[in-house]
Order: sequence, then C-alpha cells, then structure tokens
Amino acid sequence: MATMTPRERIQKLFKKEPIDTMPVFSGQGMVTIQAIQKMGIRFPQVHTKAEYLAESAITSAELFGFDAVIIPYDMCTVPEALGRGVSLYEASEDILYPTVPSKWEKLEDVEIPPDFLQRGRMPIVDEAFRILKSKQNGKYAIGAWVLGPFTMAGQVIELDLLLKGVKKDKERVVAFLDKMTDLVIKVAQHYQELGADYISIRDMGTGTDLLSPRMWQSLIMPNLVKIFKALKPPRVNHICGSTNLIIEMMNECGAEALSVDHKNDMAESRKKVGNDVLIFGDFDAYATLNQMDVSKVEGVIKGCIDKGADAVWPGCDIWPDVKKENVEAYVATIHKYGKIPSPAVGRL
Amino acid sequence: MDSARREEILKGLSDAVVEYEEDAAREWAQKALDEGVDAFDAIMNGLAAGMEIVGDLYDRQEYFVPELLMCADALYAGMDILKPHIKKESVPQRGQVVIGTVQGDVHDIGKNIIKLMFDVGGFTVHDLGRDVPLENFVQEQLRTDSEIVAMSAMMTTTMMGMKKVIEMIKAKNPNVAIMLGGAPVTKDVADLFGADGYAESAGNAVQEAIKMISRLREMHKE
Repeated sequence: MATMTPRERIQKLFKKEPIDTMPVFSGQGMVTIQAIQKMGIRFPQVHTKAEYLAESAITSAELFGFDAVIIPYDMCTVPEALGRGVSLYEASEDILYPTVPSKWEKLEDVEIPPDFLQRGRMPIVDEAFRILKSKQNGKYAIGAWVLGPFTMAGQVIELDLLLKGVKKDKERVVAFLDKMTDLVIKVAQHYQELGADYISIRDMGTGTDLLSPRMWQSLIMPNLVKIFKALKPPRVNHICGSTNLIIEMMNECGAEALSVDHKNDMAESRKKVGNDVLIFGDFDAYATLNQMDVSKVEGVIKGCIDKGADAVWPGCDIWPDVKKENVEAYVATIHKYGKIPSPAVGRL
Repeated sequence: MDSARREEILKGLSDAVVEYEEDAAREWAQKALDEGVDAFDAIMNGLAAGMEIVGDLYDRQEYFVPELLMCADALYAGMDILKPHIKKESVPQRGQVVIGTVQGDVHDIGKNIIKLMFDVGGFTVHDLGRDVPLENFVQEQLRTDSEIVAMSAMMTTTMMGMKKVIEMIKAKNPNVAIMLGGAPVTKDVADLFGADGYAESAGNAVQEAIKMISRLREMHKE
C-alpha cells in the first residue's frame, strides 16, 4: 500500500480521491495539554505568541500522530481586533479559553476598523501561519477556521438581542449579518492567502436547538452561500448541535464537506445527502477524550466510521486537558478501521 | 369579581405570553390589579400558565429560542407590574437562590431563563451575572444562606469549574441544593460532580423551568 504524507492524505480526501487511510484531523483546535506541558508554558500563554501557537500545534500533531495543525485556538481574535478586548484568564489555574469581556449594546454601534487584520492578536496568528508553513516542511495539512456570521455576531453583540432581533427587527439584523458576512470573508480569505490547506466556517450557534429550519434558510444560508462562493476549496461547513433538520440546506451552501457533532444522527444525514458528500463527525470530544474510560474510546470512534463518516471529527475543539491514553486510542482506532473506504472516499 | 372575568383576565395574560406581546401583558396585568385579581394568582395562573403552553410549542418545534426569549420578555413585562402587589400571605416562602455563569463563560441565555423560573416561583434571587469567579458562588451562598446554588456553563471548557464550586459549597454546607445548566452538562456530568439537578441547553432549561413552575402551580392550588 502506498503511503502518503498527512497533508497529501487530507488534500486527496477533500478531492474525494483514493487515500491510504483515514486522516486524523479536525476543523477545530486540537491543542493538547501534553504539548503545552512539553513546551514548559501555561495554557493562557499559548494564545499570545506566534511561536507558541505554531509550536503547540506541531507538538500536538507529533505527539499523537494527527495529520493536521490547526490554529488559532480561541474565538476572540477577531472580536479583539474589532476593539472588544479579550479576557485571557492568566491567573486561573484551570484551562479557560479566552472570552470577549464586553459587547456592543446596539447593532448600529458596531464598527469594523478597515485595518482590523493588523489589530489585536491578528498579526500573531498571521505569523503563526507563516511559522507553520516554514517549519514543518509541508508534512502536515494546515487547517484554519473562522466563526460564521451569526456566531461572530454573537461574539460582538449580546446573543439575546440578536435572537430576539431576528423576529422583532429582522431588516436590521439581516443588514448586520451582511456586515458580519463580509468580515468573515475577509478573515477567511486572509487565512487562505497565508497558506491554510483547508478552511472550516463554524456557524455553530445556528443549529435547530436555537433557530428554526425556516429561519436558518432565510437568515443563515444565504450568508454561508456567499462566504463559500468567495473562498477557494477545500471548504468545510461546520455547525454543532441539532442539524438533522438542516443538513440538506447545509449541503447546498457550496462547501466540499459538512461537519456535524454528536447531536446529529449521521446515518440519517447520510441517507439525506447521499454517499457522494463528505461528512465529518461526530463524536463528543470532551466525553470521549477527557472523561471516558479508555476501553470505551474505540467503540465511540468506530461507531462514527460505521455510521458513515468520511473523517472522524470531534464535534468541537478538543478540550486540551485530554487523557493521553484516550487520544492514543482515538488515533489508533482511526488507523485500524480507517483503511476501508468511507462512503465518499475510496482507498488505494 | 365573577369567575368568568377572572378566567378572561388570566387567559389574556397567558395569551400575551404565548404571543410574545409585551404591551398586552402589561395591559392585562394592570387590568388584573384594577379589577381585584390576586397578583400571585395572576402570575401563576396567567403568565406562568402561558409559559407552560410555550414549553409545549417548543417541544413540538413550533417555537425556537428566539420565541422563547420574547415570551420570557412578555412574562417579565407583566410580572414587573404584578410583583409589587403580591400579598405576602399568598406566596409560600420558597427561599433563596444564588445564580450565575461560571468563570470563562459569557453566555447567559440559559441562566436568565432559569432565573425567570425562580422569580416566578417566588424565590429571592441573587444573580451574580456571568463570567463569575468560582469563589464568588461560595461567598454569596455563605453570605445569604441560600438553599440553592444554580450555575451555568455553555462550554465544556468552563464546565470543570462547576465541580470545584460544588466541592467547596458541599464541604461547608452539605444541604445546599446544586443545579447545573448548559450545553455540555449531561446527567452523567451532573451525577459525577455531585449536583442535584441539571439542564443541558437554554431550551432544555426552559422545559425544566416550566416543569418546576407546573409543580409550583400544583402546590399553589393545593
């Protein structure tokens, strides 16, 4: 059997060309505490230096055998660049992801500085992409992600204002989401220019736990279509939570792959969109890699393959404080059972 | 007042909540006061009864979170008018609750909906807000001697903080009831952390809240 580099494996997977085995990767952060400890730093520091971001991604991939390096890790880089600040929780002993400390109170207050790509920690992320590109000799695929327009909007405006606004003040909310869409396109195109091999758009707060399918169609879908049209392949459309009612619409947005979490019944999704569509998912990252007894991990991961995943993706960022043996079991299970073809991708 | 008019007013309040009409909720609340409907009766059997219907609509996927939030606003609009007029003797003493989202989490929709449940139920609510340092939950519980501490985390990354708070509180006062909420919180997590109740999403929180309101309404009738 021919072997491929991790990057080639992922590139071919996205083209639905035969590969040697299923790659181990994700469209969300995969940084592990083991990598951070090996580097001798603390979690809050990792977000603040390009070298830390890049090295922790590479070290995580090397330690466990991931096929991709994915940055950044936190969802505040863009809101911070827009002027909303960031809470890094530097004093906390726990692992806490950065959050946005304050949001705009009204839609009309939101201003996008024309030079936002040069503000806040955006240059750090840029530099980390450059390091990833130069340091690992093209071995790993470089993954990037950007929040989708609705979720990005929820980072800069109170979510309940937005959710109520979609019913009470639809015209203004639509205009605001349009603005967010242009912002997302700018960031995603920028990451592609910096050399990301694939990009995931995560409009995670739009599952049907929150919004009705009808609202998804009128409010979320047109923006995602616009975004995917503006980006180069390969592109991933990721939404977490309940997605079975919108999976067909997700498939019409123009991305090469769909990513869902464990709330999605993947077998049902597969029936709806057919075998030719790349579907990634759908295990509960925290339960599987942080909590579960290691003996159960193989069953969960194999279950994703059996249900028809073309790549077994965690439904969310890996929570860094993983159990080492669980991550090893997750990788080993994909290697063990990923040698047979998946619905959309053959094997060499 | 005759019972038909009371029913009409209660229905007006309930409909205002279901149709998320804040102005109508205020108008019917004022009518209730003007025409002598007991304020607590109007809250429990008018506004809260409407919220039960909202829960059914959510279960049937006719309503989603935007509608729930607007219904909650209508309920608050009515309650703001009725609450100052509640007679002490008509409300059973429910006790106090400390509520907030844990440090690292700035999402508070679920928390606010659960808070509404406690407000409606006649609890005294100490709302710590969001992104709350863990020790503040413990301090506030001790300061107020609250019977319930309710914590919410939307992300797995912040959920572990809850475990610490539970340990700290239970060490000092084992009788405090702990409620957890948030997307990553499952029954297993609640059990593992030693919590007494849980709700896994804003919608689920509403369902839990409505069940609790229903139980309170039953108790009120008895």
